[in-house]
Amino acid sequence: MQIYLEKRIDTSSWVKFIVLTLALIVIVLISLFCFLAIGIEPIEAYKIIGEEIFLTKYGWQDLLVKMTPLMFTGLAVALAAKMRLWNIGAEGQFHMGTFALTWVALRYDGNLPDEILIIFMFLMAIIGGGLWGSIPGFLKARFGVNEIITSLLLNYVAAAWLDHLLFGAWRDPNTNNFPITKEFSEAAQLPSFGNTSIHAGLIIAFIFVIIISLILWKSKIGYKIRLSGDNPHAARYAGVNIRNLTILVFFISGAIAGLAGFCEVTGIHYRLQQNISIGYGYTGIIVAWLAKNNPLGVIVSAFFMSIVFVSTEVLQIEYGLPISMVYLYQGIILFTVLGSDIFTEYKLRIRQFKA
Amino acid sequence: MDFLVQILFAAVGMGTPLLFATLGGVISERAGVINLGMEGLMLVGALVAFVVMLNTGNYFYALVAASVSSGIVSMIHGLVSLVLRASQIASGLALTFFGTGLSGLFGDKLTGETVEPLTRIPIPFLSSIPVLGPVLFNQDLLVYFSYICVLFSWWLLFKTRLGLNIRSMGEAPEVCDSLGLSVLGYRFFAVVGGGMLIGIGGAYFPLALTPFWVDGITAGRGWIAVALVIFAFWHPLKALGGAYLFGIALALELRLQILGIDISPYFLKMLPYVLTILVLTLATIRHNRLGIQVMPAELGNIFFRGEKH
Repeated sequence: MQIYLEKRIDTSSWVKFIVLTLALIVIVLISLFCFLAIGIEPIEAYKIIGEEIFLTKYGWQDLLVKMTPLMFTGLAVALAAKMRLWNIGAEGQFHMGTFALTWVALRYDGNLPDEILIIFMFLMAIIGGGLWGSIPGFLKARFGVNEIITSLLLNYVAAAWLDHLLFGAWRDPNTNNFPITKEFSEAAQLPSFGNTSIHAGLIIAFIFVIIISLILWKSKIGYKIRLSGDNPHAARYAGVNIRNLTILVFFISGAIAGLAGFCEVTGIHYRLQQNISIGYGYTGIIVAWLAKNNPLGVIVSAFFMSIVFVSTEVLQIEYGLPISMVYLYQGIILFTVLGSDIFTEYKLRIRQFKA
Repeated sequence: MDFLVQILFAAVGMGTPLLFATLGGVISERAGVINLGMEGLMLVGALVAFVVMLNTGNYFYALVAASVSSGIVSMIHGLVSLVLRASQIASGLALTFFGTGLSGLFGDKLTGETVEPLTRIPIPFLSSIPVLGPVLFNQDLLVYFSYICVLFSWWLLFKTRLGLNIRSMGEAPEVCDSLGLSVLGYRFFAVVGGGMLIGIGGAYFPLALTPFWVDGITAGRGWIAVALVIFAFWHPLKALGGAYLFGIALALELRLQILGIDISPYFLKMLPYVLTILVLTLATIRHNRLGIQVMPAELGNIFFRGEKH
């Protein structure tokens, strides 16, 4: 007897659905095993998570609040991936976006008209994140340096840079030496919906999903991006300047990640603080992968990953588990989804040998 | 002079985990499999080594357990990227997430615990050579073990049949396949073997460098090692130079302040990462200038008999 894979002639969406469902079941089973390994009653844990997230007002709010930065970072990674570029640096671009806008807020808060201030901060987040993103883009375009490694390493540099400021010049002297800046004035805050914590950033995120979709499918530059991703040789023959396009795509990608920072600072914290991104940039990689780099799919996958984030928070509160557990989940999810993909293209067959 | 010896001595210590990890990466990538999960594997190795050390107080057990568990975890990478033919890059990233989460989850309660670090054992005669002696031969046993690993992996890759086969898997898997060699088998072997070395690299943190547990104990060194594999041109002996070069940067990070040089500690923290980017860029430029194919030709490509990719 032999088990082998046979290529499917075509893949129906029915098959995709079954594979995805099976993958989800596997994810739940693995996390069940994880709960048992750390001595937590899994059924009860699932029950608590489900109740906390879906049956409370706070849970729903939190889902949408956490979904906002994930949509941005997912979009950032997905856009670069459309051109077969890996932007693993959304975390750093997020941070440099917050750096740039905080600089504006600390310097011009009170000196500029209210509307101008927040628009200025918005633009600076784009520039800060975008320029930081352009570095791996430039190195890739000019010298062919592996963008995965450079974009990732820049995350550590960005984090150290923020630490330098937060433990130094920017620290608010009135807060017992916590690494946080002073709170921004109301002019530098995004409006919230009613008395919830959901803020206008969610709308901006949806607008950007539409903008990026339009760029990708309705503009010449989007066509060039997709062409260069699908067939770089054809793109080159067609006269696409791949070098410049690489830098541009990395700039836009970084800018979107910077906007995630903008929404977190102006929508929730109203100040810059250490660990302002709890891994949103890294999670963007999974959001993009689950969405198959489709901007509209990013909405769904950002919501899904938001559930993971909020579940981890619930576990943290109820069981005292560390928040870094979210990475464990993410690893398991990515592994499972990656591993299941093959079954949409192939079917498992068992062959009997006759004696 | 004294300061130089001190720096170089520290550089070897700081470079040792990088060296183990780079060697592991070289072996895996020579067989054609990118491993971006090094950071995660190092964290798993560090965690297991620390836990076993805490419970048994035996360095050998700690090391073996770290190595074996990293090997087991890298089997997931092998399963997903080789057997199930998913993207090696994505699978490697998943491995990094997985390892980071695992060490965060199980390391959470260990924060603040300490173990006894490895002691230095000077090698008689050799350690009395000026400069080189105290730098290279007045170290702990794991450092000596890393010298052996460098030579062993060089010998294995370039002087044995097994090594030739492993390297062929990275250059022309379809040829190997037609010769009746199992591409899957060799690649899996290289990934797991490499993963075991990377785990030892991680174990060096709690066993020697920082004998207490902190979250994210490896601090991105796994990623530096990913870059070092390229910098070393996929060669074990060159990995030695690369690892110690970064060892110097890391040692300076700790010592410049003692010298009274007034630099923000956060800038010093950036130094190794900025240096990595710089060095990687220079290596890539040199690589392009040389015009010869140093990188394994089929690195990162999925092999599946009968299908062109």
